[in-house]
Amino acid sequence: MQPRALPALTHLQYLVLGVLRTGPQPGRVLRQALASYGARRSGPAFYQLMARLERASLVEGWYEQITVGDQNVTERRYRVTPEGSRAWARVRSFYDEVSRLSSRVRWSDA
Amino acid sequence: MREGRWPARLGRWLPEAARRDLYQPAVADLEVECTRRLTEAGSRSSRALLAARRGLILAWIFFECVRIVVLQHLVPAAQTARPTRRGRRRDMMDILRHDLRHALRLFGREPAFAAAAVLVLTLGIGATTALFAVVEAALLRPLPYRSADALVRVKHRDVRTGLAKPDIALGDFIDLAARQHAFEVFGGYYGFQSTLLGAGDPVRVQGLTATPELFEVLDLPLSMGRGFGPEDAREGAAPVAIVSHELWRTVLGSDANVLSRSVRLGATRTLIVGVASPGFRFPPDQRTDVIVPIALPVAAPGQRKSGWIYGLGRLREGVALEQAQAELATLSRQFEQAFPQQNQGSLYYVESLRDALVGDSKRPLLFLLAAVGFVLLIACANVGNLLLARSLARQQEFSIRLALGAGRGRVIAQIVTESTVLALAGGLAAVAVAWWVAPMVASLVPQTTAIPGLDRVGINPLVLLFALAVSLVAALVFSGVSCASLTRDGARGSLAASRRTTMTASARRASSGLVEVEIALAVILLIGAVLTLRSFANLLAVDPGFTARGVLLVQLELPAARYADAPARRAFYDRAFAGLEALPAVETVGAGVVTPLAGNNWTVPLRRPEYPVPAGERPPEVGWQAASGGYFRALNIPLRAGRLFDARDTAESAPVVIISESIATQYFAGEDAVGQRVIVGDDVTEIVGVVGDIRRAALTDTPRADMYFPFERQPRNSIGLFIRTAGDPLATLPAIRTTVHQIEPDAVLYDTRTMAEVTAESAAVTELSMRLLGGFAIVALALAAVGVYSVMAYTVGRRSRELATRLALGASRSDIIRLVMRQAVLIAAVGLTIGMVGGLLAARALSTVLYDVPPWDPVALAVAGAALAATTVAASCLPARRASRVDPVRTLAAE
Repeated sequence: MQPRALPALTHLQYLVLGVLRTGPQPGRVLRQALASYGARRSGPAFYQLMARLERASLVEGWYEQITVGDQNVTERRYRVTPEGSRAWARVRSFYDEVSRLSSRVRWSDA
Repeated sequence: MREGRWPARLGRWLPEAARRDLYQPAVADLEVECTRRLTEAGSRSSRALLAARRGLILAWIFFECVRIVVLQHLVPAAQTARPTRRGRRRDMMDILRHDLRHALRLFGREPAFAAAAVLVLTLGIGATTALFAVVEAALLRPLPYRSADALVRVKHRDVRTGLAKPDIALGDFIDLAARQHAFEVFGGYYGFQSTLLGAGDPVRVQGLTATPELFEVLDLPLSMGRGFGPEDAREGAAPVAIVSHELWRTVLGSDANVLSRSVRLGATRTLIVGVASPGFRFPPDQRTDVIVPIALPVAAPGQRKSGWIYGLGRLREGVALEQAQAELATLSRQFEQAFPQQNQGSLYYVESLRDALVGDSKRPLLFLLAAVGFVLLIACANVGNLLLARSLARQQEFSIRLALGAGRGRVIAQIVTESTVLALAGGLAAVAVAWWVAPMVASLVPQTTAIPGLDRVGINPLVLLFALAVSLVAALVFSGVSCASLTRDGARGSLAASRRTTMTASARRASSGLVEVEIALAVILLIGAVLTLRSFANLLAVDPGFTARGVLLVQLELPAARYADAPARRAFYDRAFAGLEALPAVETVGAGVVTPLAGNNWTVPLRRPEYPVPAGERPPEVGWQAASGGYFRALNIPLRAGRLFDARDTAESAPVVIISESIATQYFAGEDAVGQRVIVGDDVTEIVGVVGDIRRAALTDTPRADMYFPFERQPRNSIGLFIRTAGDPLATLPAIRTTVHQIEPDAVLYDTRTMAEVTAESAAVTELSMRLLGGFAIVALALAAVGVYSVMAYTVGRRSRELATRLALGASRSDIIRLVMRQAVLIAAVGLTIGMVGGLLAARALSTVLYDVPPWDPVALAVAGAALAATTVAASCLPARRASRVDPVRTLAAE
């Protein structure tokens, strides 16, 4: 039997890719999504995470001008790449498998 | 909100990648958020708040980027997913907590070991900290004046006799003040004691007479009123005074109108013009109740040495002490050339105010600090040896931990934690000991040394820091010693070895080395202790030329207003002396201005009319004293020829003097000095008696040539009474007071001491050194004995199999004892040799407190060597005896 590889994504990377699968998002929205799962990161630390995903070609980022009130400002937006989607799907199937296997286990403290 | 220029400028400080990937998107988010809030914000104040908040967050983003960049550089890329710095810090705290718990548990399991180690450390660190507290107060704490380092005292030395005086001749002072350039300002002063009247009961006050410049030198702060101006120091100016804040508060009842109030100071009605700031003292070791101005002549008087004054200057900025020294030497030479008859051999020099106050006590204090440091080192060596033996016993534990994957760093960290816990526990207890002991040590320092700050010796932040530093250094030493047993081979080997572990070669060397160091340090201390002991014994054996035992010294001051003229004073003294001599316990009463052995070096030129002093030369100087005939009888100063002063010597009679034996032999060799004449000032004076020499300034003095002037001719208002009593001198004091006060109720009697106390004070610095060094040496010897014992006991235990084999092969018990003793003697010999060399070097530093003993005194060396040898033999006897009683059969079978 071919040994299964462990997921190549950290849980935070998996989470980010999962959010982006619903469509392109600004960085601050992604950061808020992480925070809602208890993973609070400073701005630079969060964008370090995103830079790594970009370098791995799992996401694609760009600056976009938006209007707030009567002011034009720019923000960083991200979309998931096809490779990112595949990576997310692989990790998802791993977790599904773990979930399926563990559902048959009778935990002693259950 | 528009993106300002500041974020971009700040970002330029970051590396390109960090700026692009981390900083710019984070700043963009910040701008979006701030712009949104600004749009919603209405008031100007909330906008300003937002702008401030934006600035703060921007700075925080920048530093966060810096942190990430630094971490990326410090931690390899593969490990960036590892815990953050905060996480690592948390881990380290967990490890530290664990190590601390482990150390405390271990010490709880071995309370005897922990108690012994902490006790020894408490002794060492406590003694060192206590002495440091004294040194800190005396030598390190700044004097309570502005830029006190720039304050210097100008002193005088007669290069012909080598005698130093703390004061300056009046004529020289005036010329020095006018010609010097090294000082920003130069002032003069002297102290006085007087009685303050007009504010309730008469109060004895300690006064300072000062030139107006002294206020600038000291930058004297005033609570109210004014300082002295030149007009106050003019001849005939109205008497004015500044009172201390304490006197204003206690005696003058915090009178708000004190500045318009007059009091009587002695016989002079004086207007109070100022109140000094609280706590002002000058000199800093003395109370300063009242300050009055000195009226100095504008030009130097013809008789340059007609008066004496202390000189205090503030060095000009940028002028070093050496430069001031050179200038004073040049001025001294100029005075010498201009006034050879008065200034030949006079050299003026400067000394920092602190050195002038601390005097000869500085070196002994530093030496004692070094000596107590030796005790600390010995204590550390002892505890180090204990830890070494303990770490040996724990070698298996360390080996198992290493084998199970603990890093060597982790094991070392545990050892360091244990050592630090021990050292800090010792340090903590030591601070408590020092808090208790330091004032006691300070009280041992003789009062005569006038060292400032000794009344405020205690534990302050600097002393605490010192104790902490010493504890941490001790911890470092212990850690090093304990880790000596943790060599790579030892750790690996001991896991496979039997349960009986042995020291590695390096640990053995460290252990013996520590004991050798202990012995060497103990020898140095012993040599110092024996040297000071011998000095003290020599000082006690010195014949000062008079009998101090049974003599009471009382200072007496008469109210100046009532005894303004000499006949009134003389009448009082005649009645007082007669009344005192009528007391049953009193044998003789005398009066003298100078107290022997109290450091006084007042001199007077000696000239004979038959031998005029050649032009350009200055007559020799001899000691000056004004005394009554009873003074010689009270002190048992023997009369060699002629007579003592008596009722024949009055103000109207021809001037007479008594000389000491040295003057007779030096200046009247082959002649009968009695009946000869000498010139004193403008008078030709007849010598009426020759008395024995005395040691004038200190016991360490050589017997001095002194000239005595009759007190009876010019009785003073203030005098020292020398009263020989039949029994305890102090027991007669109440009767003496009653007698004096029956004649003059306002007479003040103060500064009562026995002459035996005065004599003891003269040897007090040597006595202090002897006591402390003796104590240190005893402790050092005991610790060295413990060190030798522990090493020998361990060695015997380790070699039990070898010893058993030797016994089995026919060695006698005495052979075994000799074998063990040989090792002890070898260790002692190495320590002794190093100690002897160190002791000889260290003894040179002691030379200021040594008297009549050379630093290389063979007796001191022999005694130190013998004491150490005896201690070593005694300490190794028990282990040697145990070695000789090894049972070969049982030992070999057990192995």
